[in-house]
Amino acid sequence: MKGIKKSIAFVMAMALTLSVFTGCGAKNSDSESASTETNKSVDGKKTFTFGDTTFNAENEEANIDPHDTYCGWACIRYGIGETLFKFNDNMELEPWVAESYENVDELTWKVVLKDGVTFSNGKACDAAAVKACIEDLVAVHERAAGDLAIDSIEADGNTLTIKTQTPKPTLINYLCDPYGCIIDVESGNADGIVVGTGPFVCTELVTSDHLNLVKNENYWNGDVKIDEATVLTISDGDTLALALQNGDIDAAYGMAYANYPLFENDQYTFTGTPTSRAFYCQMNYNSPIIKDDAVRKALALGIDKEGFVNTLLNGYGYIGVGAFPDNFAFGGDVVKTESYDPEAAKSLLEEAGWVDSDGDGIREKDGKTLTIRWISYPSRQELPLLAESAQATLKDIGFDVQLNVTADHGTIVAEKDTWDVYAAAFVTCGIGDPMYFFTTHCLDDSSKNRGGYHNDNIQALAEEMNNTFDSAERGDIAVKMQQQILDDNAFIFCSFLRMSMIAKSNVTGLVAHPSDYYEFTADLDIQ
Amino acid sequence: MNRKPSKKLIVFTVLAASLILASIFADWLCPYDPYEQDLSLSYNAPSLAHIMGTDTYGRDMFSRVIIGARASILSTLALVGVITVLGTIVGVICGYFGGKVDLVVMRISDFFLAFPGLVFALAVAALLGGGISNAVIALAVISWPKYSRVARSQTLSVKAQSFIQAAKLAGDNPGQIIIRHILPNIFGPILVTSMLDIGTMMMELAGLSFLGLGAQPPIAEWGSMMSNGRSMLQTYPWVVLSPGIAIFISVVIFNLLGDTVRDYLDPK
Repeated sequence: MKGIKKSIAFVMAMALTLSVFTGCGAKNSDSESASTETNKSVDGKKTFTFGDTTFNAENEEANIDPHDTYCGWACIRYGIGETLFKFNDNMELEPWVAESYENVDELTWKVVLKDGVTFSNGKACDAAAVKACIEDLVAVHERAAGDLAIDSIEADGNTLTIKTQTPKPTLINYLCDPYGCIIDVESGNADGIVVGTGPFVCTELVTSDHLNLVKNENYWNGDVKIDEATVLTISDGDTLALALQNGDIDAAYGMAYANYPLFENDQYTFTGTPTSRAFYCQMNYNSPIIKDDAVRKALALGIDKEGFVNTLLNGYGYIGVGAFPDNFAFGGDVVKTESYDPEAAKSLLEEAGWVDSDGDGIREKDGKTLTIRWISYPSRQELPLLAESAQATLKDIGFDVQLNVTADHGTIVAEKDTWDVYAAAFVTCGIGDPMYFFTTHCLDDSSKNRGGYHNDNIQALAEEMNNTFDSAERGDIAVKMQQQILDDNAFIFCSFLRMSMIAKSNVTGLVAHPSDYYEFTADLDIQ
Repeated sequence: MNRKPSKKLIVFTVLAASLILASIFADWLCPYDPYEQDLSLSYNAPSLAHIMGTDTYGRDMFSRVIIGARASILSTLALVGVITVLGTIVGVICGYFGGKVDLVVMRISDFFLAFPGLVFALAVAALLGGGISNAVIALAVISWPKYSRVARSQTLSVKAQSFIQAAKLAGDNPGQIIIRHILPNIFGPILVTSMLDIGTMMMELAGLSFLGLGAQPPIAEWGSMMSNGRSMLQTYPWVVLSPGIAIFISVVIFNLLGDTVRDYLDPK
C-alpha cells in the first residue's frame, strides 16, 4: 500500500514539475505572440523582430552612439546611421551620404556630399553638420582620433575639406568604419540614442536587452518598407534558436552551428557571405614560456584548423593562413605558415629541451611544466569550440592547456602576466585596407597589442605603408608584414567567419555583407 | 535493531554500491578514452560501436558518462561525508556543552540557513572560481548547518537520559561520554539525513557545473556535459540526454536507498 502511494506521489510530482515548465512556456509565447500579432494587425503595420547575440555591453555595443567604443556597429547594422561612403561586395568604396572624394595632396582631401540627404529629424545633412559630427568623433573617440589624425575640417555648402596631420592614405576608408556614421550631434546622445540619416529611427534602447526602431519617414534614399522593427539581444544560442522556431523573432544573427540543421528547410532562408572576421590566437610575449620560439611554433603546429572549420563549424567558415581571407588580393595563400602537424611539433619541443620526464604526458623544462593559460570568451560561439579542440590536440603534443573562457576576458588580458594565449575574434580588414589590422594589433603603440609583440621590421614596414598611397603597393607591404608575424608565430589565424543570418522565408531584403556592417536597409521587407 | 534487512534495502544497496564501484573503476570500464577527440566521428548517433553516440568533438558519450560518474558521484559522496562529519561534530559539541558557544554557533548556522541554498552556493563558487573542488567547498559551506541542527537536537534529547547521568557519576569525561554514549545513539537520524541528502547534493553539484561554476573543460562531469550539450537538444539529443539520464538514475537510486534506510532504522 505504502509502495503504491509512493509511486503515485512520484508520478504526481513529476507531472507537477512538467506542468510548471509547460506553464511557463505557454505563458511567455502566448503573451509575446499576442503582442506581435496585434502589432501586425493595427493599421496593417509591418513589424520586424530581429534576434542578435552580439548586441550587448560585453561586446562594447552598449548603445547606438557611434562615438562610443564599438557602438557604431549597432548604429550602422540596424540602419540608424550611414557613413560617407560604403563598401561594395568587393570591399571597394561606393558613394553613400557623400557623392565623391578627391585626394588633393598628401594631406588634403575634398569630399562632396550628396544633395538632399537629411537626418531623420528632417534637418539637412550638409557639410557643416558632417564637420560637427567628425569633430565630435575625434574629440571623444580615441581610436578614431588616432586613425584619422585630422588637423582641420572646412565646411562650405556641400563640400568638406579635410586636412590631416600626417599622410593618411586610408582616410576615406577609415571614415567608413562604423564609428564614421554621420549623426546629428546637435540632437545629442541622451541614453545612447542618436539621430542619423538611415532608414530607421530609434525610439527606445535598453542596453543588452532590446532596441525599438520605427521607420524614418524622412528617409532620403527611397521608401522604407518596414514600419516598426525591434532588435532583441538574445545572448544564449538555444534561446535564439527557439525564438526563431516559435516565431518570436523573424530573423537571427549568431545562431549556434549545432542548430543550423533545424533551419535548413523551406521555411527559412540563409544569407551568408565570407567576411574578414578572423578567429585568431595572440601570444603573450610577457610570459616566459611563450617567449620561447619553439613553444610558439609548436602551438602553431598543434592547432587543427581544418577539423575546427569543417567539423566544429559545420563548414561555415574558411581556414585561416594569414590575417586576411582569400577574397583579398593580399589575403589567403599569398603567405605561408605552419599547418597542423603534431609529430613535427613534438620533435621541435623535444629539440628545444621540453621533455616529459615524469611520464604524466606533459612536457617540462628546467622544472617548469609546459602549461598554457588560454583565455577566450563565450559570446562568439566559435571561441569555446576552438579552445576545447585546441586543448585536446595540444595535450597530445605535451601541452597542459588551462582554459578560461569567460565574459571577463578583458580584465584578464589587461594584466601582463595572467595569461599566455588569448583567442579572440576580430574583423581584420573592416575598412577594406590591410593596415587596419596591423595598426590595431602589431605595433608598439597598438591598443590591442596585448601581448607586447615587437618586431623592428614590422615597425619599419608600417612606416612605409603609412606613406604609400597606391593600393597595390600597400597590398605588397601587407603580405610582407603578415609573413613576418607568421614567421614570428606571434599570431595564429585559425579561421575566418562565414557570416550567416537565418530568416523566416517571408523576410526579404536581409542580405549578409562581407564587411559585416550593413543589415537593416530600406529594402528590408516582410511578406 | 537486529531486524533482517528488507529485500528493497538489499536491492538498493547493491545498486548504489555498483554505482560507486563503477565510478571508482571507471578507467577500466570505459570502452574508449573519454578525452580522445576524433573530429571525423563528430555527432555520431548511438550505434553498436558508440552506444550513447558521440559528442561535438567525436568523443564517446558512454565513456564520458562513466568517467563523469567519478566527478559526479565521488564528489557528491565526499561532499556529503565532509558535511556530515563536520556538521555532527559542531552539533554534538553545541548540544552537549550548551552555553555561549552553542548560542554563537547556532546563530551562525541560522545565518547560513536564512539564505536560499543554491543562490548562496553560486556566490561562494563564483568567488572561489571554477573547478569541481571549489564547487564542493561552496556547497559544503552552505550545507553543514542542517547536520549540526539534527545532531544538536538529538544530543539534547540523549543527554537528558538517565544513562548519561550514570556515566557521569561513573566518572567518564565529556569526550568519553560523547564517543561512547551519545554518538552511537544519534547515528541513525544522522545517517538517514545524509543518505537522503545524497540525491539533492548530486543535483546541486550538477547544477553548479551546468552554470559553469563546477567542473571545467575538458573534465567530464554530468552537469557540465548537459550544459555543453544543451544547444543540441533538438539536433543531437543524445549528447544532452545521456548525462541527463545518468543523473536521473543515480539520484533516484540514492533517494530510494535513503528512504529504505530510514524505514529500516525507524520502522514507525
